[in-house]
Amino acid sequence: MKALKRNFYIPLIFLATLLGSCTALKTAPFDQYSYQNTIAIKVDAARLMDKATTPYTENEVEVEEVKIALEKMLIYEQNKPNNGISYEMWKLLSDDDKNLLAGFLKRWKEKGTFSPIFLQESKAQVTEAFDILIRYEGKKDKETKQSLLDLILTN
Amino acid sequence: MDFEQLFKDLKTALFQGLGEQYAGFKKETKKDLEGFLNASKVKLERWTKLLASNELSLEEFEWLVKSQKDIMVLKSLEQVGISKISLGHFKNKIIKTVVDVVKGIIF
Repeated sequence: MKALKRNFYIPLIFLATLLGSCTALKTAPFDQYSYQNTIAIKVDAARLMDKATTPYTENEVEVEEVKIALEKMLIYEQNKPNNGISYEMWKLLSDDDKNLLAGFLKRWKEKGTFSPIFLQESKAQVTEAFDILIRYEGKKDKETKQSLLDLILTN
Repeated sequence: MDFEQLFKDLKTALFQGLGEQYAGFKKETKKDLEGFLNASKVKLERWTKLLASNELSLEEFEWLVKSQKDIMVLKSLEQVGISKISLGHFKNKIIKTVVDVVKGIIF
């Protein structure tokens, strides 16, 4: 009976230690939803930006869809604990006074269309920004795995 | 157009201008600024040439330089976290100086 109790408590102790160590790290763990959604929004945004040599008014529905997707991600990232860095990154991407995705869409609305050269250069900037977010989330996966490994090896 | 000379002038203008304007222009900020310029050199060269050949307007050039600054902030967040970013304080001054120096040479 005692052995049974001990077997019952060991996983609980392990779980509590694991949760404690995650909090101590002060960085949200890798999130598959964030990772996949960042890639999905990047692809949708890139396809939309390719249309920016055509009038903004012809693409308003798609622009609105991308803006909604951005807003949803921003709120999702805001509400994850210990996620300050990812949230700040999404804020930059979503701020139409900055010069990344939301800023690109704002300018498209103001100008109507873009020249092919400006489109090529600005799209490269926006997709590079997305790549940084994707890379950062991907790094969390490695960090989470390493933390788990360290924890297992030291216990 | 000699871009190497332009880049040298740009560096001088930025370091002098910021050093005179901000008493707290410290080593760490100089390092940030140096990092920004070096990481942006290839893009600045391309954009400057496009501006000189009228394939980009001055306003488009400025938009791209500002976007590069936003990318550097993202990279800083990725590497060091929120608390250590100091480049942001000098944003407007940096962008204005970059555009003014390039404009002065091209137009």
